[in-house]
Amino acid sequence: MAEWEAVIGLETHIQLSTESKIFCRCRADSWGQPPNTNICPVCCGLPGVLPVLNRGVVEKAVRLAAAVHATIAETSYFARKNYFYPDLPKGYQISQYDEPLARGGYFDLPLPGGATRRLTIQKLHLEEDAGKTKLAGGQRYVDMNRCGVPLVEMVTGPDLRSADEAAQYLIRLRQLLRWLETSEANMERAQLRCDANVSIRPAGAIHLNPKTEIKNVNSIEAVRDAIAKEIQRQVREVESGGQVEAWTLEWDEDAGMLRKMRAKETEGDYRYFREPDLLPIRLDEAWRTRLLATMPELPLERRARFVREYQLPEYDAEILTEERSLSEYFEAAARAYSGEAKRVSNWMMNDVLRLVREHPQQAGQPQTAALAGLTPAHLAEILTLVDSATVTLATGKALLEKVIATGTPPRAIVEREGLAQISGAGALEDICRQAIAENPEQATQYRAGKTTLLQWFVGQVMKKSRGKANPQETAHILEKLLVG
Amino acid sequence: MQLCDLTAHEIVERLRRGETSAEAVLDSVLARIAQVEGRAPRTAPYPPSAEEQAEDRRHVHAYISLQAERARERARSIDQARARDEALGPLAGVPLAVKDIFCVEGTPSTAASRMLEHFVAPYSATSVTRLEAAGAVVLGKVNLDEFTYGSSNESSAFQPPVGNPWDPSRVPGGSSGGSAAAVAAGEAVLSIGTDTAGSIRQPAAFCGVVGLKPTYGRVSRYGLIAFASSIDCVGPLTRDVTDSALMLGAMAGADPQDGTAASVPVPDYQAELEAGVRGMRIGLSPDYFRIQYPDAKTGELREQEIDPQVKAAVLDAAQRLAGAGAEIVENVPMPNTRYGIPAYFVVARVEAASNLHRYDGVKYGHRTARPMADLRAMYRASRGEAFGVQPKLRILMGMYVSAAQYEKHYYQRALRVRTLIRGDFEAAFDPAGLHRLDALLAATTPTTAFELGALYGDSVLMQYADLLTVPADHAGVPALSIPAGLDRGGMPIGIQFMARDFDEARLFRLGRAYEMSTAAEAWRSARPKVLGGG
Ligand SMILES: [Zn+2]
Repeated sequence: MAEWEAVIGLETHIQLSTESKIFCRCRADSWGQPPNTNICPVCCGLPGVLPVLNRGVVEKAVRLAAAVHATIAETSYFARKNYFYPDLPKGYQISQYDEPLARGGYFDLPLPGGATRRLTIQKLHLEEDAGKTKLAGGQRYVDMNRCGVPLVEMVTGPDLRSADEAAQYLIRLRQLLRWLETSEANMERAQLRCDANVSIRPAGAIHLNPKTEIKNVNSIEAVRDAIAKEIQRQVREVESGGQVEAWTLEWDEDAGMLRKMRAKETEGDYRYFREPDLLPIRLDEAWRTRLLATMPELPLERRARFVREYQLPEYDAEILTEERSLSEYFEAAARAYSGEAKRVSNWMMNDVLRLVREHPQQAGQPQTAALAGLTPAHLAEILTLVDSATVTLATGKALLEKVIATGTPPRAIVEREGLAQISGAGALEDICRQAIAENPEQATQYRAGKTTLLQWFVGQVMKKSRGKANPQETAHILEKLLVG
Repeated sequence: MQLCDLTAHEIVERLRRGETSAEAVLDSVLARIAQVEGRAPRTAPYPPSAEEQAEDRRHVHAYISLQAERARERARSIDQARARDEALGPLAGVPLAVKDIFCVEGTPSTAASRMLEHFVAPYSATSVTRLEAAGAVVLGKVNLDEFTYGSSNESSAFQPPVGNPWDPSRVPGGSSGGSAAAVAAGEAVLSIGTDTAGSIRQPAAFCGVVGLKPTYGRVSRYGLIAFASSIDCVGPLTRDVTDSALMLGAMAGADPQDGTAASVPVPDYQAELEAGVRGMRIGLSPDYFRIQYPDAKTGELREQEIDPQVKAAVLDAAQRLAGAGAEIVENVPMPNTRYGIPAYFVVARVEAASNLHRYDGVKYGHRTARPMADLRAMYRASRGEAFGVQPKLRILMGMYVSAAQYEKHYYQRALRVRTLIRGDFEAAFDPAGLHRLDALLAATTPTTAFELGALYGDSVLMQYADLLTVPADHAGVPALSIPAGLDRGGMPIGIQFMARDFDEARLFRLGRAYEMSTAAEAWRSARPKVLGGG
C-alpha cells in the first residue's frame, strides 16, 4: 500500500435551502411528504408551461461561489440536458453546461496536524433535480415531489489523497453550506449528495490513471468506507497484474460493498443546447455587490481570528466555530463580558453546549435556537454575577436554565427569588448556628475530633440556604462556631 | 351581412349602443358554423370514399372542438353586465377561435395530435386569459398542422383537413390554418394563432385576413404548447387592422409566468392608428421578389421569381403608400434571406425534438395499450403510435443535427445564420445607415393558396412557402400580413410589412393606411366561395 497514492475528486450536488423550487412556486423541500403532493404543472412538465427562474437560487449559489473563491460569470446560461427517464417529466433537465455560474475556485481543507490541502474547484452550476422512481410488485412508481428542487453541482479537481480526506472535505463543506445558509446539507435527506472519482498511481507520480466513479453514497461514513474499499480493490487489482477499468460503482449501504452498475446505452450524448425558455442570468454590478456585501466571515477565518483576538486555544476556537450561530453567540457574549474571553468559552463548552444538546432542535435550526431566552448578554451577566460573588457558582449554573426558560434578565431573577449569595457575619452566621443547633450529635462528634464532618455541616448550610451560601465563608464560620 | 361578418370593433360598438347582444352575436356565429363547417374533424382513419371527399371539399372543417355551452355562459354574463351598465371590455362579446395549440382550462388541448387527443388542460394560456378578461368569448379550438409542423394544415391528426373558405379544395395555409379559415368564413370574428416560420401570416395571406406576428417576447408564451421556443410568437388573426391592434393591446405585456415575455411598455395601438404614413421610409428588397432554394439532387442554389400577380400587388401597395406621403426605398439588400429556411430547418427541429421529449406516455397523453415489459419499448410504442409523420420527421432530424458529432456543423452554424439575418434587418432599419427604413414591404407568400394534396409529403418544397415569412421569425422583428387583392383565380393575395422590434404601432398605421387607400376597390367586397362568393 505504501507505494500507492490515491487520487480522488468529488462531485457534490447541493440542495439549496430556498423557500420554493427553482422554476415554480412549489415548496423546495418536501421531505416526508406523500408522493406527488408538492407538484404543479410547471415542475411536472405539462404541455405549454414555462420555467421562471427563482432569483433566490442564484443568490444562494453566488454566495457559495464567492466563498470558494470562484470566478462568478457576469452572464451565464441555462442549457437543456436531453434524456428520457420516467422521473424526468420534460425529457430534459434544465441545467448549465458551457457557461456555468462560476468556475475556477479553491477550497482550503485543514488536515489533522495543522497542514492545509488546497482543493481546486472546477466549476459550480445550477440545475433542477429530477424526481424519484421505485419498483414494487412489478410496477414502476414515480414521485415528482423532488422535480425542480434547486441544486448546485460543485466539482473538485482530483486533489484529495485519501478516504479520510474525502470525508473531511464533506464535513468542512457541510459546515460552510450551513454557515452561509446555502443548504441544510443533510446527507440523509439527500440535501448533500456526493459522487466520488477514484484512481490510484505510484506515490509521487503526476499522471492520472483510469478512474472509477462511485455513486449513491449518502452519508459521510459511507463515503469514507466506499472510497477506502475502492482504493484497496484497485491496489489489489493492479498488484495482481490487472487493470483498473472505468466502471461506475454503486455503494450498497446494507452490504457495505460496491457493486458495478450496468453501463447505460445512451450515455454520453445529452444533446445540450441553450434553454430558450429562460433568459441568461445576468449578474449586474449592483446585484453582485449587494450579494457580496452581506457575505459573512468564513468559518476558518473566524477560527483563526478567535485564536488571535480572544487568545482561545485552537480546540476551543474549532468547537465554537463549528456552526455560525454558535460563533456569533460566543463573540457577542465575549464582547458583553468584561473579563477574559476564555472564561466565556469555558462556560459555553462545558455548560451552554450541554444545554444545547439537551434541547434538540429541528433540522435546519441553528444550535443557538435551543438557548431561547438566554441572550449572549444574559450569559455575560451571569458570569459577572459569579465573578463579583453576587451569586455562587452553583446559582450561576442554575440561572442558565432559568433564563433559557423565561428570558428574564439574570439579575432580575436573582433579586426576585432572593438568590444573592449569603455572606458576612449576620445572615450566614445565623444559618450556621441553626445548623449546629439542629444537629447536636454531629457537633459533639466534631468536637471529639471527627473534623471531616465540617464538609457535612457545610452541605447542611448550603441546603438550608438553597445554594446561596458562600461555601468558603460558611466553612470558616462553622469552624469557628463548632470549636467555640 | 350577418353579425358574424362584422369586425370586433363594430360588434363592440353595437353592443355599447345597445343595438345587439353578445348572445345574438354568438347565435350568428354558431349558425354560420352550422352552415359552412361540414363534418367535424376526427382522428379516425382518412381518406374517406370519393363522394365523402367531394362533400368534405365543399366545407371548412375549422374546429377540432366547439365549446358552445361555455361560450353561451360567457356571452350571457356579458349581456348581464351590459344590462347593469357595467363597463364593457375592449373585446366584449366578440367570438374568438383559439388555435388548438393553446391550453384553455377544462377544454381538450390536442395540438392536432393523437398524442394529446384526450389531454384536458388544467390551466389557460396567459394570452387566452387576457383576451377573455377583455371580454372575448372563446368558441372552441381550431385545427392546425400537428404540433404546428406544416404550412398547409394537412398534417393534422384530425381529418378532414381545413379547407380554404375561398376555395375549399385549396389549403388554408398553416399552421394557423383553422384560425385563418374560421375568421375568413365568419365562423369566428377573431382568432389567436402562433407564428414560428410564418404560421400566422401565411394562412392569413391564403385566406384573405389580417395576421400579425408580434415582436418575439411581446406576448407571453405561457400555455402555448411549444414548437421552437426561441422563435414561437403568439399573435392575432382578424378581419382588419383595427381589430389586430385591439387584440394585440389586450394580449401584450410582461407575464410573471414567462420570463422571456418582454417588460417593454405596451402602447395604445388605437391612438395613432390613422396617423398616416407621411415621411415614413418604406423599403422594397429584390431578395423578397424571388425565392432561392437548393436543388434537392445537386444542392445548387436555384432561383425563381415569385408569382407576378403577387409581385404586382406589392408594387401597387408601394405606389399607394407613396401617394399617401411615404418615401419608397428600392433595392434594399437582404442578402441572408436565402438562408432562412435551411437555418430554420436546423434550429426549429432541434428545439422541436427536445420539446417533444415530454410526450413519453408516462404522465399524460397517449400510452400504448399493448403491455410492455421494458420501459424503452413502452416509449417507442407510445410515441410511434401517437406521433404523425411530421413530428417524427422533426424528431429524426432534430436528433441528428444536435448529436455531439454534428452539432457544430449544423446547429451552431444555423445560430450564426440567424445572427446574419438579424443583421440584415438591423442594417436596413439603422437610423444612421444607408437605407434608414421605418418598414420593409414584401409579399407574404410567393404564391397564393395551393391545392390540397399538392405539396403534402414533399416537406422541403412546402417549407419554401415560408421563405418570405421566416426571416422576421429568425430576427424576432414584428411583421403584419394584410389582404391585398385577389389573383385571377379569385384567391387572396397577402402583403406584409416588417418593422423594428416592438414597433407594432407603425405596422398598424401602415396597414390601416393601405386599407383606407383600397377601401373602394372591388375586391374589398368579394366574398369567399363557401359564403356564396367567387
Ligand atoms: Zn411546481
